[in-house]
Amino acid sequence: MFPWVYGFEWHPGYLIFLGVFFTVAVVVAGTVLVALWRSFRTIYKKQEGRVYWHTAFEELTPEERRCRHAITGELPEHCCDREFDCRGCRMHARLLHSGEGRGGAMAPELAEVCGLSVPPDRYYHRGHTWVREGEDGVLLVGIDDLGSRLLGSDGAVQLPPPGTELRVNEPAFCARRNGVEARILSPVDGTVEGPAGDGEALIRVRPAAGFSTVHLLRGREAVAWMRHELDRLQIALAASCGAATLADGGAVAEDLGRCLPPRDFDTACGLAFLDV
Amino acid sequence: MVDRIDDAWIARGVRRAPFSRFLLWAAPWAVLLALGAYAIFLCLRDGLYHTNMDNRYVFGLWIFLDLAVIALGAGAFFTGFLLYVLRKSELRAVINSAVVIGLVCYSGAILILAVDVGQPLRAWFTFYHPNVHSMLTEVTFCITCYLTVLLIEYVPILLKNRRLKMKPSMLVFEYNLHKVMVVFALIGTLLSFFHQGSLGGLFGVLRGRPFAFREGLLIWPSTFFLFVLSAMAAGPSFMALTTWMAEKITRRRLVKDEVYQTLGRISGKLLLAYVFFKSLDTLLWINRTAPERGFPAHRFYEYGGAFGTWILFAEIALLGLLPALLLLKPEWRARRGLLITGAAMACLGVTLNRFVFTIQTLALPTLPFDRLLLYWPSWQEFAAFGFVLAYGMLVYSFSYRYLRLFPQERELAMAEAKR
Repeated sequence: MFPWVYGFEWHPGYLIFLGVFFTVAVVVAGTVLVALWRSFRTIYKKQEGRVYWHTAFEELTPEERRCRHAITGELPEHCCDREFDCRGCRMHARLLHSGEGRGGAMAPELAEVCGLSVPPDRYYHRGHTWVREGEDGVLLVGIDDLGSRLLGSDGAVQLPPPGTELRVNEPAFCARRNGVEARILSPVDGTVEGPAGDGEALIRVRPAAGFSTVHLLRGREAVAWMRHELDRLQIALAASCGAATLADGGAVAEDLGRCLPPRDFDTACGLAFLDV
Repeated sequence: MVDRIDDAWIARGVRRAPFSRFLLWAAPWAVLLALGAYAIFLCLRDGLYHTNMDNRYVFGLWIFLDLAVIALGAGAFFTGFLLYVLRKSELRAVINSAVVIGLVCYSGAILILAVDVGQPLRAWFTFYHPNVHSMLTEVTFCITCYLTVLLIEYVPILLKNRRLKMKPSMLVFEYNLHKVMVVFALIGTLLSFFHQGSLGGLFGVLRGRPFAFREGLLIWPSTFFLFVLSAMAAGPSFMALTTWMAEKITRRRLVKDEVYQTLGRISGKLLLAYVFFKSLDTLLWINRTAPERGFPAHRFYEYGGAFGTWILFAEIALLGLLPALLLLKPEWRARRGLLITGAAMACLGVTLNRFVFTIQTLALPTLPFDRLLLYWPSWQEFAAFGFVLAYGMLVYSFSYRYLRLFPQERELAMAEAKR
């Protein structure tokens, strides 16, 4: 039974002691092997992005996990527990059904928050990307005004190659500036067709079957969210290095990334693109 | 430039001291580490003659402090048990810190044991020639298995480092390892339970030392259970104490108040249970066990000085009952100063208990012609333990700087800024 144990005897003491010890050793090794096997399977199925977002979402603070309906005041203090994917959320469906839960159309003058434009013709993702329907049913995906001002003109965005499968809330682009790297989340499910080339959008995406915008923000809701995002950014920067805030109004700088010290810039990128 | 490279390893949204200041903090510990390494080298090269231990004093400073750090390090297994098995979710805020503390305590204890036993190249003999009737064999098996479990528990914390998690395979492995963590928490509980118990049992079975010998249940003397209970009681207190110290040193809030309250409450309840059973055990020992071995209990305390009756009073009342009350009464526990005082007293109490069993047991005479033997460790013994202390401080400091030991830190910093 235990041929490798010197002097082993068929005695209850030996059997119980060594039995417990080897059971523990087998369970420990087996559990590690299970974790390794699951990891291999996840990588083989190319589901790393899902794991990435699941882990990142867990690290968000309750304030950062605030439900979209909490931001608009419909459900005060409510935190999202669905990783910002409203497509299966009953609460969201109920509010939509009752007509409360959509931002709806807004006047053009509302489409600006402290100098940040929030054009009403597109849907916004909580990770500061947007999506707009283009020609031939193709979607145009880009980074919103706050994200663009953070990355500035010298920020490099590494676009996914054509044919890449994108999934909602999984990393789509990788942005880099001043040595700081941030992963930017995809707002839609679909396949990358190539660069957009229209100046505003970054890529063209062929939507996957059953494409839905239920999880995206629009209209007044997007404006309220953008205001909330600015508040969040100011608080975080104050916590990080005591940066100046916009307590008395003002507009966000055109090249926000350049104005921030390196540590603040890093914090701001993590906060805006939900890459903590 | 160095700061930029260093920043890339520090988690987003948390503040850390500049790298130069961190080096200044680490430097004295590195010096202590080097001194300890030299002492360990001397002991391994020449043997234990560098120490003041002898045939009578076979257990000295090393074993005493080993037992103490292992008892205090029980916070790791017990916090894991409370979080993953009893679902005390608020303790998620300190579980990473608990794992690092457990790892440091257990690896440090093993290191010192290796120096004490000597011949580390022959360490595998313990596993190949196990004497299943020996408590020491159980200790060795449990301690090595539990260290393996702690290392596995440390891996997900390490892989969540900002740079490491950029590699998808690392993050995926961390995620999957984290999902099976409950298995390791349960195994850790089992191993640490038996390990703490075996350490206590080691003293309880010393028939030739009536001061330590205890009766018990089946093959287990009462000290087996009392060591387990005292470690479970002191573990959460040590967690509260170390977290508070980390907050004071870093000048940041790291956990919410409810975490301190939970740790204090659990520690208080267990400490009260421990004091009750310890008192029963002491009464039984005074009135039955010791006289039956030919030693009226009062004779153990006739020598006065360091080993007078005050030590029994301090162990049970001053550092047992009093901290239990401080931690149990909600109004007192709500005051941070009293809570930390209670937690520190609980930790001192368990340390004193290990001192009594290790040092006092060996100091007291057992034969008519024996006399009280006093022992003072050599500088090599102090330095070797200094090595463990420095190693622990460095591992904890680096872990705090580059890993997310306190997940609530970012949230608390933001809440403070909001105010």
